[in-house]
Amino acid sequence: MAWRAICEKFINAQNLVEIESRKDPESDPFRSRYKARELLKEIYCSLKNFEATEEENGGESGDQRPTEQAIDGQREDGFSQGFSGDSPAGLQAAKLGAVEYYLGVNHIDTEELSAGQEHLMNCIKLLERCRVSPENVSLFIHVRNQLGILWAGRDETETAQEFLETAESIYQCYMKEDGTPPTDMTEYFTTEENLLTHQERTKRFELAYTHTMYYLAQVYRNLGQTERAATYCHCTLQRQLQLNQFSPMEWALNAATLSQYYITKGRYMEGRHCLSAATVISGLAGEVPCEPAAQESETENEHWEQLRQKGAEIARCWIKYCLNLLQDAKKLLEDNIGELDTDRQEELKRARTHNEEEEEKCKKSTLMFGSEDTFDAIASLEEKVCCSFPLDFTEARAVFLVGQNYVTQAKEYFQIDGYVTDHIEILQDHSALFKTLAFFEEDLERRCKMHKRRVDMIEPICNDLNAKYYLLIRRQLMFELAETFMEMTDLKLALANRQTDTQSLDNHTIKKFNYLCSASAKYFQMFLDSLCFPEGKFPEHLEEEVLRPALVAHFRVGRLHSRLITFSPLAQLENLSKSLENYKYVVEYCEVHPEAATAVEAELELSKEMVGLLPVKINHIKAKMATNN
Amino acid sequence: LHLTHPNGDSDSIRVFVRVRPLTQGTGLTTDGDQSLCLTVTSPNTVRLLSKPEPRTFTYDHVADMDTSQESVFNSVAKNIVESCMNGYNGTIFAYGQTGSGKTFTMLGPSELDNFTDDLRGVIPRSFEYLFFLINREIERSSQSKSFLCKCSFIEIYNEQIYDLLDTASASLFLRENIKKGVFVEGAVEKFVSSAAEAYQVLSMGWRNRRVASTSMNRESSRSHAVFTMTLESKESVNEVVNIRTSQLNLVDLAGSERQKDTHTEGSRLKEASSINRSLMCLGQVIMALVDVSNGKNRHICYRDSKLTFLLRDSLGGNAKTYTIANVHPGSKCFGETLSTLQFAQRAKLIKNKAIINEDTQGNVR
Repeated sequence: MAWRAICEKFINAQNLVEIESRKDPESDPFRSRYKARELLKEIYCSLKNFEATEEENGGESGDQRPTEQAIDGQREDGFSQGFSGDSPAGLQAAKLGAVEYYLGVNHIDTEELSAGQEHLMNCIKLLERCRVSPENVSLFIHVRNQLGILWAGRDETETAQEFLETAESIYQCYMKEDGTPPTDMTEYFTTEENLLTHQERTKRFELAYTHTMYYLAQVYRNLGQTERAATYCHCTLQRQLQLNQFSPMEWALNAATLSQYYITKGRYMEGRHCLSAATVISGLAGEVPCEPAAQESETENEHWEQLRQKGAEIARCWIKYCLNLLQDAKKLLEDNIGELDTDRQEELKRARTHNEEEEEKCKKSTLMFGSEDTFDAIASLEEKVCCSFPLDFTEARAVFLVGQNYVTQAKEYFQIDGYVTDHIEILQDHSALFKTLAFFEEDLERRCKMHKRRVDMIEPICNDLNAKYYLLIRRQLMFELAETFMEMTDLKLALANRQTDTQSLDNHTIKKFNYLCSASAKYFQMFLDSLCFPEGKFPEHLEEEVLRPALVAHFRVGRLHSRLITFSPLAQLENLSKSLENYKYVVEYCEVHPEAATAVEAELELSKEMVGLLPVKINHIKAKMATNN
Repeated sequence: LHLTHPNGDSDSIRVFVRVRPLTQGTGLTTDGDQSLCLTVTSPNTVRLLSKPEPRTFTYDHVADMDTSQESVFNSVAKNIVESCMNGYNGTIFAYGQTGSGKTFTMLGPSELDNFTDDLRGVIPRSFEYLFFLINREIERSSQSKSFLCKCSFIEIYNEQIYDLLDTASASLFLRENIKKGVFVEGAVEKFVSSAAEAYQVLSMGWRNRRVASTSMNRESSRSHAVFTMTLESKESVNEVVNIRTSQLNLVDLAGSERQKDTHTEGSRLKEASSINRSLMCLGQVIMALVDVSNGKNRHICYRDSKLTFLLRDSLGGNAKTYTIANVHPGSKCFGETLSTLQFAQRAKLIKNKAIINEDTQGNVR
């Protein structure tokens, strides 16, 4: 058969698989693939005949096969043994190998996995006879990618890993030793005039290797090697950028998600880098047009909507970055009662200058994103927020402001009307940003104002939410409000008078203090009420997940009631018995459910103490009232 | 700290497994297959004859081949319809391989409006019972109570939402409202005043689903259909008007055999070549990495599936939920049956979690 005819057959087979097969009827889903398979088999036979004739003509014989190797032991030695890739025998092996490869993929596509495996292994065996060279390296990689997929599908992840890692090392050795743009497998069956350009060759080869990275990322994930998987995800993303093979929004979302991996690992420099890259690359997806232009067509409108939504998602990842950075800094700086430890602060500040050099070193060794055009834009965005822990109010405030800015941006898309859950999550983050910033604030008055801001943003929403549809979110909000009010009572009290002598407080402060106390108790109580059965009964047995919040809420309601300031003995009596009732609940619940005691150790101990003390105090007041009467 | 559904009622999702009789003359591939791959060992256990050892699965209820439609209704839907009357949301999911008896269980022997047939399924019976309760309630309250009932019927295919009551409409969006919760924006709502009318709306949508699947090239076995009945009760007592609303969702999940394509389980790799150059699943890989590292506050850019978002409240919120898993006992169906039984077991574990950000510092004050 003439060479041209073989080429035509090959193109035909490719067409059948890539185009025709999509139109195959459901009753005969593999019709085109079966046709393609026949063509490939014919090509194989023709190639074999070619071999026979060439050998007769005294071509290089195939007798000097290298010794058989282990299944896939081919690493560096692939570069030193066997035929050279451009020898006639080497080319012949590559061509036959390629047909075996296509036959393998074809069988896998038609769900004949073991036949597919056999063809792919035939390809590997043929290649084993050759040295890795520009003529065959692409096939070396492709066939291992396929085998990786095949074995992973059989849950033999380690086997898959082995093939893919071999592909990886073949690529790396090739790039080190040779690196010229290699022949693409399709070119084996192309006539001279249709050969690819060097640029196209490089692109296809690099893409095949990108896929190796991408499959390895999945394999490592499946093996539970998260750190390695993350590195390979990172590599895949970077290669997509370099090869200009990506859709900007999809890429940006992936990078933003990766940033969340890094921040959960406390690696803020990497996290910031991913986010900056996400923001810059998402900009390539197109400018968000102003509203009137977008309303012209439905597709345009949908595109616009998508850009806005994804932009807002990236903003939310930034919020988390700022929030976690602040919270981690807080953890580092707080003493055992949750206040700023100034000694520690000084120490960390002194250590910082030294760290900066380390950081610089670290930065150079980490993987960086960016193409020629985007690198500077990413770097300049990174400079806008620090990635080391803020150590004082000024530094914390700078991080806070960046976070707050992204809150505004995210809320523009995730409005309360239409995106209730998302909107509230953003508000919760905003509140958490304030809460953490307050830790760094030394002026108690201003600190109190920050908590007031939290109340102002959460309280109206909490009261408006439909209790039936948003039960769980409401519970979170109620608990947060209760805690915020409690925080404010503490601050008020500390501000007004650091002594326990409440007699000397002025009326206005008492009123304010009582108001905050009652508000806190009210929200704790609302939280507890939300746990009740439809008939209004409080559950006898608390589920593990609500156990601690519920017991803590009871404990605090008890505490808050005993702190209310009143000069009327009757009211005082009422408050104290309410307090006693709540402490008793904690004690009695733990008696009936001993396993609960570990969840609330400290609260339980104090509750027990109060259950002992309060009756005495109550009786004292009663006695006093009796004598006064 | 994690918070799950309210009331300490850990059984808010119940699972009912129903085994269909062997097929004969139905044209299904399982026809004439006389060997069984499972046995029902008690009213709540089923033993799957797997190798090397048989496995026993436990559910809230297991119904054998001879179970009547009425008894299915009594165990699954009666309670849910009753709590709907009391203002709670209820959801019934049907799940199983194509040919395992899903439609029979939910609708009845044929999809026509044979409303009196003894073999009619859970849905017509639920409608009847609901309107029976409504009428009884109206009588009892001597007309001080009134009810409003409306239905919508949507289909989720490929993460797009289509209105089955208005086939001309483009795909719809899910939105949320602070008072109404999650809803499908622009979905047609039909008012109904009797079980027959409700059934009519349902059958119309059901027919449209078929038309859509052939004309628009979507497969019904690959789509989820959600029929929602919203019940609003109004009671005036001494000039005070009390309004309560609740929802009853009837969900026909995509055939379990098709789930494999969409939700690649386990360790299979996603191929770049079949995803058209886009490495879409990279995002999922990264997502999985983030998910294991817990404790920290993070945001994931990829949203919930439309179905779980729409029914979020049914998956462990303050709603009553029943999952009916239909299985075929034939040994040819072993694989599918196993995966259905496993899914049904996982279904019980679904919880809608919310974390309370309790201050861990200075708890005791």
